Amino acid sequence: MDKTGHNYPIGGINMAEQPVVSVKNVTKTYGKRGEKQYQALKGITFDVQPGEFVGIMGASGSGKTTLLNILSTLDRPTAGSVAINGQDVTALRGNQLADFRAKRVGFIFQDFNLLENLTARENIALPLALQNVKSAAQQAAVTQIAQTLGIAAVLDHYPTELSGGQKQRVAAARALVQQPAILFGDEPTGALDSQSARELLNTMAQLNAQQHVSILLVTHDPFSASYAQRILFIKDGQIGQELVHGEKTQEQFYQEILTTLGTFQQ
Amino acid sequence: MLRKLALGGIRSRFRDYAVLFSGLVIGSAVFYMFLSLATNKAFLTANTMVGMTSFIFGFGELLLVIITTVYIVYANSFLMSMRQRDYAMFMMLGAKSRKIAQLIFIETVTVGILAAVVGIVFGMGLTGVAGHALMAQLHAPATHFAVAWPPAIFWTFAFFLVMFVVGALINAHKLLKTPLLALLHAATTPNRLKAKPWTLAVQAAAALVLLAIGYWAMSQFAKLVLMGVAIALVTIVLGSYFLFNSLLVWLIGLLKKRKRFAAKGLHTFTLSQLSFRIRDYTRILAVVSILFALALGAITVGLGFERDIPDLAAKQNAYDAVVVAPNQATLAQARRLTGVVAQVNYHLKSDAKHFYFNAAELDRDPLMFARFSHGPTKYTKVTAANFAKNAGEYASQLDQFQPKQIGGRQPAVLSAAAFAKLDRPVQIAHTWRLKDFTANYDQLAALNKAMIKQYGKQSSAVYGQKFTYYAMVNGAFSGMAFMGFFLGIAFLAMLASTLMFKILSGASYDQSRYLMLQKIGVRPALLRRSVRQEIGALFLFPGLLGITHVLFGLKMFVGLLQEPYGHLALPFGLFLILYGVYYVLTVWLYERIVIRQDLAADSQQ
Repeated sequence: MDKTGHNYPIGGINMAEQPVVSVKNVTKTYGKRGEKQYQALKGITFDVQPGEFVGIMGASGSGKTTLLNILSTLDRPTAGSVAINGQDVTALRGNQLADFRAKRVGFIFQDFNLLENLTARENIALPLALQNVKSAAQQAAVTQIAQTLGIAAVLDHYPTELSGGQKQRVAAARALVQQPAILFGDEPTGALDSQSARELLNTMAQLNAQQHVSILLVTHDPFSASYAQRILFIKDGQIGQELVHGEKTQEQFYQEILTTLGTFQQ
Repeated sequence: MLRKLALGGIRSRFRDYAVLFSGLVIGSAVFYMFLSLATNKAFLTANTMVGMTSFIFGFGELLLVIITTVYIVYANSFLMSMRQRDYAMFMMLGAKSRKIAQLIFIETVTVGILAAVVGIVFGMGLTGVAGHALMAQLHAPATHFAVAWPPAIFWTFAFFLVMFVVGALINAHKLLKTPLLALLHAATTPNRLKAKPWTLAVQAAAALVLLAIGYWAMSQFAKLVLMGVAIALVTIVLGSYFLFNSLLVWLIGLLKKRKRFAAKGLHTFTLSQLSFRIRDYTRILAVVSILFALALGAITVGLGFERDIPDLAAKQNAYDAVVVAPNQATLAQARRLTGVVAQVNYHLKSDAKHFYFNAAELDRDPLMFARFSHGPTKYTKVTAANFAKNAGEYASQLDQFQPKQIGGRQPAVLSAAAFAKLDRPVQIAHTWRLKDFTANYDQLAALNKAMIKQYGKQSSAVYGQKFTYYAMVNGAFSGMAFMGFFLGIAFLAMLASTLMFKILSGASYDQSRYLMLQKIGVRPALLRRSVRQEIGALFLFPGLLGITHVLFGLKMFVGLLQEPYGHLALPFGLFLILYGVYYVLTVWLYERIVIRQDLAADSQQ
């Protein structure tokens, strides 16, 4: 495994700051040696700068879920390095890994992944309870994040009593309550109706713009992707193309994504 | 095709079925074990007190049938919960109701028959091992004890077949009445803990009243007999259920309200896990507390009977062995006794009507006679002065001093001078008092054999011996002790599989929850602690209630046992160790299901 991880010179727009996510030459091969092997990632390299909103797009089987699993420490790369906030996460084990997940990264999944036996309030407070934050401080943090995300009214409901959009906001609140270095989203709008999806994306863009939350969003939906500042296209385990939002309107950017997808998939 | 679908379902969810199946196998094995005794009339009449036999086994059979039925109902609903989505999918693809009903029937009955067959074979093994081990321990004659007993095989098989056929019909009926959409989206829905305080209070009050009635009925066992048992059974089962329903809900609510406690680590999650399935669990916890009480009670009573055997024998005779005028072979056997506390010899002379002790000898070494009473054994010392007064009361104990070849004479005392003057041959009576009768069992048995050879079986010398009396009490009580142990082990096995089965059957639902927690960064050690606490609560509460049941239930045996409350440390200790082992095993299995050892290894989606 390449242990040189965070030592390589930092590229990109902002030279002064360390990238929040730094991926270098990551490969992932499934299947044991001697058996039939399948390479899901074939050498991926990119950075996410602090406060950036990055989208990763690709068709089914392109390797985007594998990449996200590796970034979020749920899976390990076969080779290459992943650094989050300057720390090489591929070297973490056991409790270090658990604590890293709890404090440094937040997740939102397509299927919400809320604990259905806890109320929304308890779900959001859980990461704080795990760090033994005092009860009063927990409640204060929960109330604050719930107000930001517009779910203060439903805090004492169980997930089964919430709509899809509300569930995803609760999940987002849980992901953000620890103020992680980066928020990972895995198709967070995948199970939402268009209205709820739009609201969630607006909220994410707002969090990004106002509170400088770094976001990495994996999606195959062009509309969701059009909220990002920069989009990386993955095809067959490699980054094929990169689009930058820049000064374009969201509508223009959306059209550009559609065009790119049209040519990129061929 | 149909059979392939039905049996393919079993293969595809092998691990879930393995839990289910092993539970059912234990169920049918225990059922067989019990029946192999209960239906073996020859064995029962040879080994138990006549009046008690039918009562104990009738009671045991009733309990076992009830508990096995509850167990099979659980097993069937578990089977359905595993399969209903598949069935719904078949229906969506156009399978007709009749076909689905057939599918359920084939699957359910196959599981039932397989479990019965494997269980019977397993039960034979258990019966052989446990039965022989216990009987050797109790010195019980293994007469008429059969490992493969055809009526038991037949009844076990018939019971399981009938139960599963009925279960299959009910399952099919229920499934076909449920709307297809509900089946497809069958997921767990949370139980809101919104029981009103006064409902809790009413339930708690009902629980206490019912338990009080049950405990009272058991204490009045001497008067109420079978009626008392029936009352106790009903009230205690209901009382336990209400107690769990009210107490646990109240306790969880209380802990959740204590913010400082609840807001720490995984406490909220653990409490929610418990309250989430509290409705599910109250029934099973009530059943477990009853099984716990039955198993512990049976083992305690069994040990009580076993302990009573030497005790009762000691109350009949102060001497462990008395031999008059032994020949070389008999004396040689007697000299092999160990742990001798006192060895006293008396010189005897006899005429046509009497046999005589020497007053001087009695004054030097008074005769010891056991006085029968409840509680610790008391002894009377008999000297020349009080001999005449006591001779009548202790006639049977004096019998063992009868000069052997003659017999049928009355005991009497002569002064030293008169004894010396009497011109009759002297015979020596050798007496032994031992530290531990049971430790000398084999030597005493050999001595008894030598005495029978020397004096003949009917001689009063042999008949009055403590060993003879011990053998008699042993014949009556060891059967009871044996049954106590046997039932205790059987109930323990059922308890084990019931609770384990229930907990593990929920594990597949929990899997996603624990995976979720791991994803958001809960340390594995913390997860494991949560598992230990959750399962610990499920073991602790029925255990505590079960112990309470036993403590009250032992009242029933006040008339039968010398000291029903005398020696609880051994059975309770033993039982709690077994229960603990079984807790550790459940935690271990559960952790293996819900906690991913290497999350990174297979989180590929």
